[in-house]
Amino acid sequence: MSGHPNEVALERADGYAVVRLGGEVDLSWSQDVRRAVLDALSLGTPVGVDLSAVGYIDSSGIAALVEGLQQARRSGQRFALVAASDAVRAVLELARLDRVFTLVPDAQALLEPA
Amino acid sequence: MKALRARGAATPGLAPAPAAQQRDADTLEFLAELSQALAVSLDLGQTLAETVTRVADFMRVEAASLFLLDPRTLVLDCRVCVGPVDISGVRLALGQGIVGAAAAENATQLVPDAAADARVWRAADDASGFVTRSIVCAPLRTAAGPIGVLEIVNRRDGRPFAEADAKLLELVAAPAALAINNARMSETLLEQQRLKREFELARRLQKSLLPRRRREPFPIVGVNRPAHEISGDFYDYFELADGRIGFVVGDVSGKGLDAAFLMVRAASLLRWAGKDGLEPAAWLARANDELCETTQDGRFVCALVGYCDRLATEVRFAGAGFPPVVVARGGAFEEFASGGPPLGILPGMAYGQHALRLEGGTLYAFSDGATDVRDADGRPIGNAGVRELIARHAGETLETRLRALLAELKRLHLVDDTTLLLVEAPRTEDADVLLDCRMPARPETLRELRARVRAALDGIGAEPRLRDRLVLAVDEAAANVVRHAYAAQGCAGDIALRVVRSGNVVRFEMSDSAPCVERERLRPQPLGESRCGGLGLALIDEVMDHWQVDPLPGRRGNRLVMQKRIEGIGDEEGEGT
Repeated sequence: MSGHPNEVALERADGYAVVRLGGEVDLSWSQDVRRAVLDALSLGTPVGVDLSAVGYIDSSGIAALVEGLQQARRSGQRFALVAASDAVRAVLELARLDRVFTLVPDAQALLEPA
Repeated sequence: MKALRARGAATPGLAPAPAAQQRDADTLEFLAELSQALAVSLDLGQTLAETVTRVADFMRVEAASLFLLDPRTLVLDCRVCVGPVDISGVRLALGQGIVGAAAAENATQLVPDAAADARVWRAADDASGFVTRSIVCAPLRTAAGPIGVLEIVNRRDGRPFAEADAKLLELVAAPAALAINNARMSETLLEQQRLKREFELARRLQKSLLPRRRREPFPIVGVNRPAHEISGDFYDYFELADGRIGFVVGDVSGKGLDAAFLMVRAASLLRWAGKDGLEPAAWLARANDELCETTQDGRFVCALVGYCDRLATEVRFAGAGFPPVVVARGGAFEEFASGGPPLGILPGMAYGQHALRLEGGTLYAFSDGATDVRDADGRPIGNAGVRELIARHAGETLETRLRALLAELKRLHLVDDTTLLLVEAPRTEDADVLLDCRMPARPETLRELRARVRAALDGIGAEPRLRDRLVLAVDEAAANVVRHAYAAQGCAGDIALRVVRSGNVVRFEMSDSAPCVERERLRPQPLGESRCGGLGLALIDEVMDHWQVDPLPGRRGNRLVMQKRIEGIGDEEGEGT
């Protein structure tokens, strides 16, 4: 388990936005994650969710990401999971969602043609 | 040989002394040769032929024959003969003819003048033109009575048989009887050895059909004790893809190899029919139709089939001519009779079935071998006797109880194949408690819960990837309790979690005090769908081997039990069952 504290931060870059998550995403604050993701999407730019510092994610956290993906599709925005940690990848694979999401190694990839 | 000489000398009509001495010497030599020839022969046909040929030759007679007595039919059958007329195959009743008289009286018969003796059997003479003038018949004596008769007909020198000939034949008959008896015994022995090998093969085949005893917590145990080498009884259990466990107990009518082979066929048929997960009644009906198609010799199969879940909360079963199933709960007994006739009699039969919640009780299925066991007075103990045994061992664990019941039945007198099969919730008392904790059901406590489960699983050396999945599943379960069991019902309470390990199976028991959930609503969503809701349950379903939600007794809450077999842990325990 990583010792990261639970944190959610929005970072704006040139042409895209990144929601940086850390810690263990579970029922206790997955609503905060959901809100942060939807807020980022409201900026209208491509959005990445950086999951490199996430040591655990449960189904409510996954649900927040799924909701973000659906919102992005409706508005035609790029939406990707950035640098997902092994722990996150394991859960995505278990839920058979690893191919539903776009997974990228770094936020710069959000600007590259799909 | 002194006795012979003395007897020979005393016999009237014998030749003068020097000739008699020569004859005695010849006789001795002949007997020695015959005994030696017979001693090396274990083949019955060869022994018989050897005897008759040598006797006819030595005694210088026109014809000789050997009859064997069938102890069951008391018919004397001519097995070998030498002479101008072939009478082999002739059958005489005990007492019929001179041969029959020798056997019936177990005494040598001397007939100097056959024409003057009304007992003489003349059919062969009439048919062949041969004239029987004189006869001697000596019984082939054994400790258990005569086994046949040695007969000589007509001296070649034309003289009638005299007392000396009778004595001589009697003398010759002794080693012949011994040799024939030996040859017969060795034949019987060979036959017995062959049968024994066949039975051993059948026994091993049967044994290979019985299921292996499970090391992990398992709700079914069974035992089969044949009364003889091979059994007409069998039992079986197997897991279905949906997590249910099917079980079968069968009892084939009749004994011996035929019954054993029907048992083998019935066992595989019932297993095959049960693997489709049919309702027990339909399962029996299908097996019955199949058996009816192939069984014509009047044999039939009594059977009990059913399903239970891993925790033996619910059982469904149906019987076909099988003794009533006994369900023991607390101190109370309930019996459930079979809902149809035995299998293999009439096609198209319908069967009734039972479904019940065991609620901590035990289902006992036993073949009629158990109820046929005799008490001290030689009376079958019946169902009441079996109940008494059950009550006496109620406190013991499943496996111990099964052994104790069988030992008791064996101490009484087992007269038939006996099979016992018990269905009961696996106990966890003897299991290793890895974690036992209680905490308020709030989102903020989930992190702490995960840390504790993770530590517990690390403690037994669970592989990290699997450990993380199990932690996820427990967390999802707890989150569901927080969100759906308590919060959605507008109430609060605790989550209690026990993690126990027995063998290589880890059980997670989570209980709450929330209103009882409707089990029908607990449906995991298919994975891979980008939808919200139901994902937690789908993950639990994916990670665990088995899970189940039940109301707590008195509907005081809910209890979720999840189970996972973990390879590579618990092996060093070596329970050695």
